[in-house]
Amino acid sequence: MIAGVARESRVVTALGRRALSVQFRRAQLLMPTFVLPLMLLAVIASGTSAGRDLRDFPEVSSYLGFVVAGTLLQGALLSGLTSGMALANDIEGGFFDRLLAAPVRRSSLVFGRLAGTLGLAVLQMAWFLLVALLFGASYPGGVLGALGAAALAVITAVGIGGLAIAIAIRTGSMSLMQSIFPFVFVLLFTAPAFFPRDLLTPTLRDLSAYNPLTYVVEGARGLLQGDASLGDPWIGLAAAVGLAAFATALAVLALRDRARRT
Amino acid sequence: MSTSTDSPAGRSGSRSGGTNSPAGGVAWAFWLRSLNEVTRVRGALIGTSIAPLVFLLGTSGQFGRLVGLPGFPTDSYLSWIIPLCCLQGAGFAGAAAGANLARDIEQGWFDRLLVAPVARPLLVLGPVLGAITRSMVPVTLVLIVGVLIGGEVTGGVLGIVALYVASAGFCTVAAMWAIAIAVHFRTQQAGPLMQMSVFLGVFLSTAYTPQPLLKGWLEDVARVNPVSHILELARQSTVSGIDLSLAHTWPGLVALAALVAVFGALAMIGLRRMGR
Repeated sequence: MIAGVARESRVVTALGRRALSVQFRRAQLLMPTFVLPLMLLAVIASGTSAGRDLRDFPEVSSYLGFVVAGTLLQGALLSGLTSGMALANDIEGGFFDRLLAAPVRRSSLVFGRLAGTLGLAVLQMAWFLLVALLFGASYPGGVLGALGAAALAVITAVGIGGLAIAIAIRTGSMSLMQSIFPFVFVLLFTAPAFFPRDLLTPTLRDLSAYNPLTYVVEGARGLLQGDASLGDPWIGLAAAVGLAAFATALAVLALRDRARRT
Repeated sequence: MSTSTDSPAGRSGSRSGGTNSPAGGVAWAFWLRSLNEVTRVRGALIGTSIAPLVFLLGTSGQFGRLVGLPGFPTDSYLSWIIPLCCLQGAGFAGAAAGANLARDIEQGWFDRLLVAPVARPLLVLGPVLGAITRSMVPVTLVLIVGVLIGGEVTGGVLGIVALYVASAGFCTVAAMWAIAIAVHFRTQQAGPLMQMSVFLGVFLSTAYTPQPLLKGWLEDVARVNPVSHILELARQSTVSGIDLSLAHTWPGLVALAALVAVFGALAMIGLRRMGR
């Protein structure tokens, strides 16, 4: 039993390491994942900061520090999607079929890929928080608040990675995975990623209540700003963990189904 | 996906000789083949059609209160954002042309085209025409839905023409850029790089707020970003504060022509290198 767990752990670690190394082998292709959210952060922080003059906008120490929670969320979405795309590439290239023939548990193939997503997301979140700090963001929640916000985003990345992997396994199509790319922004903008929930239009405000990412971004914002009135971290944690568990189960089921069919 | 010799492009090889304009015949065949993506590739229209639509709803819901700020030229944020989403949809359609080309390169189909007795620009022209045709779907969808949920058409028929010209032109720009990326990296994994460029080009402009409300470095970047002019061209259709006039039209047209020339040249240089 213990030997089996140890063996599968080695498999997960090896696959996770491979997933990371494959993505970093062509770093220029990984650049969007690390640069795009920061560019959007800069654009939104500069382009919509006039919104701070609106009535009902909460008192925050810096607008950049307020919107950076949305950047963490966006990073989580992109790293998750990148995992799905990399898996679709493996399927199209035939590598995944060889993995399926290997004497390992099917779920380890999913966990291995998600381990790569987790590693990528950790690097991303540290990068985003650091760069935003250098450009003037303040985190009144302190180091613990920043670590907590990063942890919420990393767990969310695993959840989005699980969804992307499930779609990649079901379709096996790189083209389709790339078509999904814009939907990342749909998920982002149907949550109060860059503006407070109270200032969203009524329809979107109602809709955002059903998007789990709403609670993640608000929780991260509350942690970064050290102000629980901006968002409850525990509810954010529950939403992130729930999403990750659901998506991972979905990916494992998709893999079992694919293995049965092939 | 048609990678076999019985594809429209393949069949055109025998037919094009019989037409008055072989180049036209070949371009036509590549155009048709590009349009086949819509029916043969699952979800080919999803990203370009549905996403800008949901983006329209999401963005107007997210930042809709900004119209309350002094200096905003319209009291309808939806009207402000409709042209932006049209351009985004068109840009995605253009970027998809590059992603599809990268797939053809990876699968070896494009190598066969390179050895065909066909002028190189035609290999690019077909996918670009196909992308422009496909881009009309999201542009029309965004416009119709936007108007149905409260957007205004303040520019009349000429304003709508300006919107379509801006969208088709921006699609061409995005397609040329994506093709240049595709022939350089030669992998589908460059897809996000193509799409990200469209996003950045649009966002580093007067996307969310007009020039007077921009602050800091973005104020300067948006002023020199050609996409700001293309957006102004398009916004003559729906924004009451941007009247239909030559002054709002020609900067956008010049920006489109310049971008097509630069990215078209990049694509052709990459294509020439690839054939060596």
